[in-house]
Amino acid sequence: MRYLIVGNCAAGVNAIEGIRRLDKDGEVTVISNENSLAYCRCLITEYVMGTRRKEDILYREKEFYEKNRVNLILGKEVVRVDVSKKRVILQDNNSLSYDKLLIATGATPKSLGIKGEKKYGVFGFRTLSNAEEVIKIGEQVGRVVVFGGGLIGLKAAYGLKKRGIDVDVMVKSSRVLSQVIDTEAAHIIGRWLQENGISIRTGIAPQEILGDKEVEEVILDNGERVRTKLVIIGKGVMCNTSLIKNSPIKTHWGILTDDFLQTNIEGIFAAGDVAETRDIATGNRTVNALWTAACEQGKIAGMNMVKMIKRYPGSIGANSADFFGLPLISVGYVRVKEEGYEQLIKSNPKEFKYKKVVLKGNRLVGFTAIKDIENAGVYTALIRKKVDVSSVKDILLEDYLDYPKVRELLEEKEGLRESISMQGETIKIA
Amino acid sequence: MKRVFVDLDRCLGCHSCMIACAVEHSLTKELFKAVQETPLPKTRIEVKTTEGGGSFPLQCRHCEEPYCIDACIAGAIRKDPETGLVLSDEKKCVGCWMCVMVCPFGVIRPSLIPDRREKVAIRCDLCQDRETPACVEACPTDALFFGEAEEFKKAVMSRARRRENALLNSG
Repeated sequence: MRYLIVGNCAAGVNAIEGIRRLDKDGEVTVISNENSLAYCRCLITEYVMGTRRKEDILYREKEFYEKNRVNLILGKEVVRVDVSKKRVILQDNNSLSYDKLLIATGATPKSLGIKGEKKYGVFGFRTLSNAEEVIKIGEQVGRVVVFGGGLIGLKAAYGLKKRGIDVDVMVKSSRVLSQVIDTEAAHIIGRWLQENGISIRTGIAPQEILGDKEVEEVILDNGERVRTKLVIIGKGVMCNTSLIKNSPIKTHWGILTDDFLQTNIEGIFAAGDVAETRDIATGNRTVNALWTAACEQGKIAGMNMVKMIKRYPGSIGANSADFFGLPLISVGYVRVKEEGYEQLIKSNPKEFKYKKVVLKGNRLVGFTAIKDIENAGVYTALIRKKVDVSSVKDILLEDYLDYPKVRELLEEKEGLRESISMQGETIKIA
Repeated sequence: MKRVFVDLDRCLGCHSCMIACAVEHSLTKELFKAVQETPLPKTRIEVKTTEGGGSFPLQCRHCEEPYCIDACIAGAIRKDPETGLVLSDEKKCVGCWMCVMVCPFGVIRPSLIPDRREKVAIRCDLCQDRETPACVEACPTDALFFGEAEEFKKAVMSRARRRENALLNSG
């Protein structure tokens, strides 16, 4: 059996492990357009900070590929999937054949869609090479403008500030993290960032980037001009689907996958930031472009490439970050926009503390915590397992809501046992 | 595979295990010095209470399919293929709290590395340097047990039988 994985990041690497669990002999080939070995993409923040070196953020060492007998091809771009001939075409016109294919090509930062953004000095914040350039210019000029107040933009700002480079974050909406958490929580995080020296301006978007070949100035939509040599864009990502354009593989937001992460074409799977899956909390189809989701999807897709045995329970929008020592965790559906949801909130903005749960009927569908994040995973489990939480509703916001309080709810659900070994669990003997 | 098991009926909630664990994971490994360390060493086993008010010591389950491994953006968590232990490499951990976010048992906790004061996620490591984990050794009622699942079952059953016999004899 010949397995081909396009993409060598979270989903790709985990797919190797998934395949090797069930098939020790098959031929595994991984092809990536990046030149470096798989690294922890999210850790480019720490790289920019200076707390981690390049070699510290490797996700898997070279030996991993040797041990798993992977034929690793780096620095080559797949431009087309030829579904009928079961092969992929590379940019250099060579081709690779497969029996089972995984598309794990990830995503690319969205552009601003304005004039001048191709100039040198405008970067996304996604790759190690982005980070290297950002550090190089940032150290020279000492000041950076970040457009976008999402997690990527804020993590970039945080990393740079920690390195001693001044940052102006400019956000189109009225607050940071408008796609991640609710208004009240966002104000707490925004205020904390400002107290730690990051300038945040809301209601502002860039209109044009000026300069010869390099960025010199940005014109904002209020007419203001800002002199800068370095612009970081954190406007979210879009799926890398160009290789399946004109192929029968169906896409919507991302590549459509079924419960086994297979696309509409038998033998072709998709995982990671490029894959569209069902969201556990909302029930809607979406792309949860998250490291966590990519790992789980990669592993399951890899196993299913060998044998269709593992159902994917769906993805969940779940984010965790820590800015200047203030932790934030948000899981599931929390930015409530319509009727039919109940929100319970405990907020202490003065101490930068916040906790919120969102219920739909008797089910927990969302959870946000700032500062006190212990037991966050218990809430995530309640959301994932879709249990009736009415018996613990009164204590949902309490700090003592922990595993023993919801043990019976979680254990009743099949599936938890399936994914969690109960070997360490208390054995009760009557 | 050896694990820590709990006989809930014997746990009095005295928190001795928590103290022993925190001391074991401190810089000095001595109680009276450990309490003066900054940051204070943190325990990796916690005695929680159940809905009914009973005590419930809780620590890492070393799951078969751990959510925390998938979630770790630093690739810092591995499952040892031989022992089955799920261990975090504290040098690799960047303190992003993804593992805290996904652990259904809530047994991975934010902390600081004692000497360097860097953020780190901590969990029970079954005291890798010791033959018997500190919590088990410190438990005054033998509610905590370290061994194979079968051994534990046997121990609990024979204890129950002895109790029954004693009751019969006294009656």
